[in-house]
Amino acid sequence: MSTATEIIDNLTDDPRRRAPLVIGGEDFASVTETVCRVPEAKKTPLLWYAAFALSGSIALYFVALIGYLVFTGIGVWGNNSPVFWAFDITNFVFWIGIGHAGTLISAILFLFRQKWRTSINRFSEAMTIFAVICALIFPGIHVGRIWLAYWLSPYPNQMSVWPNFRSPLLWDVFAVSTYFTVSLMFWYLGMIPDLATLRDRATTKLRYFLYGTFALGWRGSARQWHVYERAYLLLAGLSTPLVVSVHSVVSTDFAVAQLPGWHSTILPPYFVAGAIFSGFAMVVTLLVPARKIFGLENLVTVRHLDNMNKIILATGSMVGYAYFIEFFMAWYSGNPYEWFAAMNRAAGPYAPLYWLMVFCNVLVPQLFWFKKWRTTPALMLIVAVLVNVGMWLERFVIIVVSLSRDFLPSSWSMYYPTWVDISMLIGSFGLFFTFFLLFVRFLPMVAMAEVKGVMKKKDEV
Amino acid sequence: MSSSHSTLSKADLSAAQTTLGGAANPLFFLCGGLGLAGLGIGFALGWNRADNLQYFLHSYLWNYCFVLGIALGALFFVLLQHATRAGWSVTVRRLAEFLTAPFGLLAVLFLPILIPVILGHYNTDFVRYNIYEWANPAAVHESEVLAHKAAYLNPTFFAVRAVFYFGVWWYLGRFYLAKSVEQDRTGDACVTLRLERCSYVSILFYAATVTFASIDWLMSLMPDWFSTIFGLYYFSGCMVAIMAVLILASIALQAAGRLTDAVTVEHYHDLGKFLFTFVVFWGYIAFSQYLLIWYANIPEETQWYLLRQNGAWKWISLALLFGQLLIPFAALLSRHVKRQKYLLGFSAAWVLAMHWLDLYWVVMPSMKTERPPFNPIDVCLLVGLVGLYAAGVLRAAAGRSLIPRSDPRLEEALAFENT
Repeated sequence: MSTATEIIDNLTDDPRRRAPLVIGGEDFASVTETVCRVPEAKKTPLLWYAAFALSGSIALYFVALIGYLVFTGIGVWGNNSPVFWAFDITNFVFWIGIGHAGTLISAILFLFRQKWRTSINRFSEAMTIFAVICALIFPGIHVGRIWLAYWLSPYPNQMSVWPNFRSPLLWDVFAVSTYFTVSLMFWYLGMIPDLATLRDRATTKLRYFLYGTFALGWRGSARQWHVYERAYLLLAGLSTPLVVSVHSVVSTDFAVAQLPGWHSTILPPYFVAGAIFSGFAMVVTLLVPARKIFGLENLVTVRHLDNMNKIILATGSMVGYAYFIEFFMAWYSGNPYEWFAAMNRAAGPYAPLYWLMVFCNVLVPQLFWFKKWRTTPALMLIVAVLVNVGMWLERFVIIVVSLSRDFLPSSWSMYYPTWVDISMLIGSFGLFFTFFLLFVRFLPMVAMAEVKGVMKKKDEV
Repeated sequence: MSSSHSTLSKADLSAAQTTLGGAANPLFFLCGGLGLAGLGIGFALGWNRADNLQYFLHSYLWNYCFVLGIALGALFFVLLQHATRAGWSVTVRRLAEFLTAPFGLLAVLFLPILIPVILGHYNTDFVRYNIYEWANPAAVHESEVLAHKAAYLNPTFFAVRAVFYFGVWWYLGRFYLAKSVEQDRTGDACVTLRLERCSYVSILFYAATVTFASIDWLMSLMPDWFSTIFGLYYFSGCMVAIMAVLILASIALQAAGRLTDAVTVEHYHDLGKFLFTFVVFWGYIAFSQYLLIWYANIPEETQWYLLRQNGAWKWISLALLFGQLLIPFAALLSRHVKRQKYLLGFSAAWVLAMHWLDLYWVVMPSMKTERPPFNPIDVCLLVGLVGLYAAGVLRAAAGRSLIPRSDPRLEEALAFENT
């Protein structure tokens, strides 16, 4: 079996030649076959139905809870004074963070000529879009009277009511909606050639019509490819600052305030690093089972996972750097409030959550120094899930722990989540997975055209 | 693969092309001589001012951090190329390796900063030569904040940390240069693997030392001010500097008939992209720091910017905004500029000059003068420190190949094209 030896080859580093990105002797036809057989399957697998029933139910439960929240009021959450932001904003920042890997892979890694990104970019971009949808819901419902949410957008009106342009919350509206729009366009643009492939292979009229409509008349001519590649490069260039700006703007929601624990100049780059960290962890969490279930091991090789895990290690170390510098500066500043906030995190009532966060975000990723952990799917799954937990906790620690004890001890108050808080967090996962299952069932999970582009190089070698 | 083979055989990598040859020695003496003369004249002028060397030492710190930043940027560039298994950069990597060679010399050149701090600790007569308020026992006695920070900001610990930083940098610079040169001789591809593996841990040490060095030497000039992003701020400037220096060094070497085949327009294009990247990165970090401090408006933080945006200082701040961010952003966005050697060279020189001004803006307001001070001492010290540093680089480069000639990815670098 040549597969076994090739897997070893693919992981061995020989600086004299670049490792192949597609293994197992796959050729162009078999790549198309491997990717297309999932959306083209005649019979939907039972497992898919089971998973969809579960996640769909949870998503519906989420929708019902939103109705309950809107009709009853924000009081169904555990938010109080001074903890005005709690699970809602924690979930928002968490999901926005998850939504950073896709565009990073498709834009920044593209500009850095990281060819291995081709096998994972479609998948991660889809994840990005669903994560941003989940994220947008939370601040949307947090406004309480959601029928007035359109006041967030600046438009000329006879009341002369304008949003506050100096507020980072408004910058959020612009930053996240721009990011969502561009990510969606980028994802869709990249998918056009693959949609055309599905159209050309379609066996039913309906499939032909639907895939054909969305393929926008793609014929794969040299002229079309030329335009396509220019558009791709331009979108990559435009998306790159967006990857950095979105979480930088989200960080200013906190950092422009004077609250100790929120106000820290390192927050923008630290949030961006954390977002990439959590985004990659989520990609690994989903990709490890998906490549197994759908038989994509030759396209998404262990080497791809190894690379992603290295990025998790790098960004995790950056997050650890930021934790350390924040702690050091809290002492160095000589400011008693800063120091109190730092100590309140480490030894206050929420201390166990803080230490769990440090464990998940700083210590656990260090396992990726070992090649065994970076290249064994089951082991990396453990790390990736723990990183997801840790990054959710990080936002909780930043938001709730800082708010619950501010400058005035008489106004301190603990925050405890209600059943609605917890259900909505779970519900958002249900929505995310519902979208995701629809994606894997009906759209090409791997960017076939792009993967073939990097296989050519392999043939030359 | 076949196409890259022909590139290698076509590229002229003879000794005349890839070593400095006989030019190394005269250049070494020229740079060294200029350096010593610059430092000497600068010191004489500084002493003459009868301001307890305050101007001289501030100017020295400013120019020192400029030169050190080039070496630190070079060190990170080398580490980054190994960590990412970069292929395109092989033909310019050796230049960066040479730039990391003189950390020993830089440690010696740090003594004018360190000695007044130490002497002031033992003899109050010397406190007047000190530029750091926290090293003045009387000031520490009076200020609660300084007394609190004395556990970190004290002369002994300051010196110990400096020794540690230079130890790390000297070791890393020497290790990566020595291994790379060893590979020239042996052609052993395993060296590349080993350097890649070492690079990850090296980056951790690098991040820690550069962060705390910038806190110690630059941030503590205003000891009651603090900013968590400051380490990144200095680092981003270092990266701007090294990309500019690599571009200028390549152009200079090609003008002297070296590396004419090894460094192609494609390499300039990529170096230009990196220069653009780090210009934007610097702008991002600088803006983050400014925005957050401006917005929260907490006096102990805004004091640093108040010094820099009032009076004539605001013109320096604006010059940085336009000169180091907006103008180079617009210029370097163009593919044409990045692929025209001399346009790119001009942009690189411009950005490098702006980075010099940036450090001026960081250091010199501590003089608490009403107007931004400029003095011939600044030029003398710039010539002095750059000259000595260049001499150190030339000494490392003498007799060695200007490219890692046996690097397994050399072919890839020679054949590489931007699509």
